[in-house]
Amino acid sequence: MKIVTAGTGMAAAEFVEQLRLEGFSGEIVMVGDEDFPPYSPCVIPFYLAGDPLDTVFWKGKDFYEKYRVTARLGEPVVQVDPDRHIIRTANGKTEDYDRLFFATGSHSRHPRPEWLETGGVFGFKTLTDMIAIDRYIREQQVTEAVVFGGGFIGVDAALALQARGLSVSLVHRNTRLLSQMTDEDGGQFATLRLAEKTGMDIQLRTKVEEISHANGRLTAVRLSDGRKIATRLLILSVGVTPNSAPLKGEDTGICSNEQMLADPCIYTAGDVAITRHAIDGVPAVYANYPNAMRQARVAARHLVHGDGSYGGSINTTVLRKHIDFPVISAGNFSGESVTWQRGDVWRRVYLVDGMINGYITIGDTRLSGYLYQHYVARTRVDGTIRKIISSPRQDGQYREMLGFASD
Amino acid sequence: MKRIFVDYKKCLACKACETACAVRHHPSGTFIGSLGDRKTEINVRVLGIEHEAFPLSCRHCDPADCLSACPSGALSRDVDTGATLIDPTRCKACAMCAMVCTFDAISFKVTHRSPHDREIAHKCDLCVERTKDGGTPACVEACHSGALVYTEFDLARSKRATRTLRTYLLGEEGVPPLVELYRELRRKEFARRRGSAE
Repeated sequence: MKIVTAGTGMAAAEFVEQLRLEGFSGEIVMVGDEDFPPYSPCVIPFYLAGDPLDTVFWKGKDFYEKYRVTARLGEPVVQVDPDRHIIRTANGKTEDYDRLFFATGSHSRHPRPEWLETGGVFGFKTLTDMIAIDRYIREQQVTEAVVFGGGFIGVDAALALQARGLSVSLVHRNTRLLSQMTDEDGGQFATLRLAEKTGMDIQLRTKVEEISHANGRLTAVRLSDGRKIATRLLILSVGVTPNSAPLKGEDTGICSNEQMLADPCIYTAGDVAITRHAIDGVPAVYANYPNAMRQARVAARHLVHGDGSYGGSINTTVLRKHIDFPVISAGNFSGESVTWQRGDVWRRVYLVDGMINGYITIGDTRLSGYLYQHYVARTRVDGTIRKIISSPRQDGQYREMLGFASD
Repeated sequence: MKRIFVDYKKCLACKACETACAVRHHPSGTFIGSLGDRKTEINVRVLGIEHEAFPLSCRHCDPADCLSACPSGALSRDVDTGATLIDPTRCKACAMCAMVCTFDAISFKVTHRSPHDREIAHKCDLCVERTKDGGTPACVEACHSGALVYTEFDLARSKRATRTLRTYLLGEEGVPPLVELYRELRRKEFARRRGSAE
């Protein structure tokens, strides 16, 4: 049996590793658009901040040799023919398969794609982006940057550039940063504290409207509120879109069953896969690393042994990069809310039927694992949760265990 | 595989475990060297909760949520001891592991193992250099009251243990009379401090 992966990202790498660990000895071909061993998108901003490049290859630089993989790199998959079991790459080459693992990930959504033709304007999604930004900063001796988009990737980008020593302006359309992973109050708290702790220039309720350039290089950006910022570096991070067009014809994600099968011979996983949420059952793309790993393992196990199923995704997220100020959340922000705040630490838990429906914890990682485990396990916490999250020494769960936390 | 189990009722909060851990993980290997050094790594924390004390450290769960959550390849399982270990050269302190650790056993700081003098995650490593050769973790060796025990871990226990912290407690041998007396005195002292006569 011949296995082909469309994509060489984290899901595809985990899938291949698990196949080999499960004893699959047949041919494996990995096809991807970037000319690198599998790398961790979570780690690549650290390279930009100054860490060694080798640390981004989280399963080793020798991945393809180690797992006996034929790598066809620099060739994005542009078309899948499920009837003929063939994929086609951008340069017209084809590869036949017995089973396809479709994990092409996602790409940055750009408000004005033509801006990327100007020197100094970059996306912030791939290792290719990071290497280009790094080279540009070094060659042009850039000392300032504007990041457009204050979601997870935008804040990640801003913190990485600031850690490198650049002066950063972060421009975001919403009323708060990290608007998808926080509610209004939590987002406001996180935005305020991030601004205080980093000294970053954060511009909310506005967007980059126009760019100015000279000799093909960026010189300034103009915001929708009329303000002009002189800069030679603009990072665009306003959102991402699943790369599902080669299989589906449009970039809206790939639906799959509980074995991660999108078709009898095509598995899917990662940032392109639409899966059911483990708690509320809502189907969507839940793009995070633990989901991608579990999806890839389910697919590998099913391919080799014919059993196993995916229990659904959890939308957990944590942003803790370069500074000791974590923002963690999961679930839905609806229901009865219980909030606690002291100093730099802010927590809110949403309860429905006495169980955790969603939570946000900012400024401290402690108790986040407790909330996560009880959220996933669907245990009733309404009798103790107030005391647990409001323990000033952040030891509420241990107080509960020793019998000191009942309301 | 062996694990460190906690019988909190025997814990006297003497913090000998913390001291032994600090010395064990300090490059000098000495108590004096570890004192006042902001990079000193202490991977067990004695929580004081009212009149009780609880020595908290990584449980080396199996399966471990932290291991599946680490996106930088820094966390792995040691085949000899079953310990979950952090590779400081790969760790970015991104907190994905801490986000799912129900025990709050993972902390972040610049330690002597940090590359580039940068924050990393640190936690109990089960003293693998000692335990893989049949030795005992430093904290357990230093515990004089029997609150920390390094013993074989059975599967049934591990299944129960993933459900609740309480089931991690040994509590089977009973508390020695002197320790029981000490607990009673400590309970009364805390009650007196709270101003509620008992």
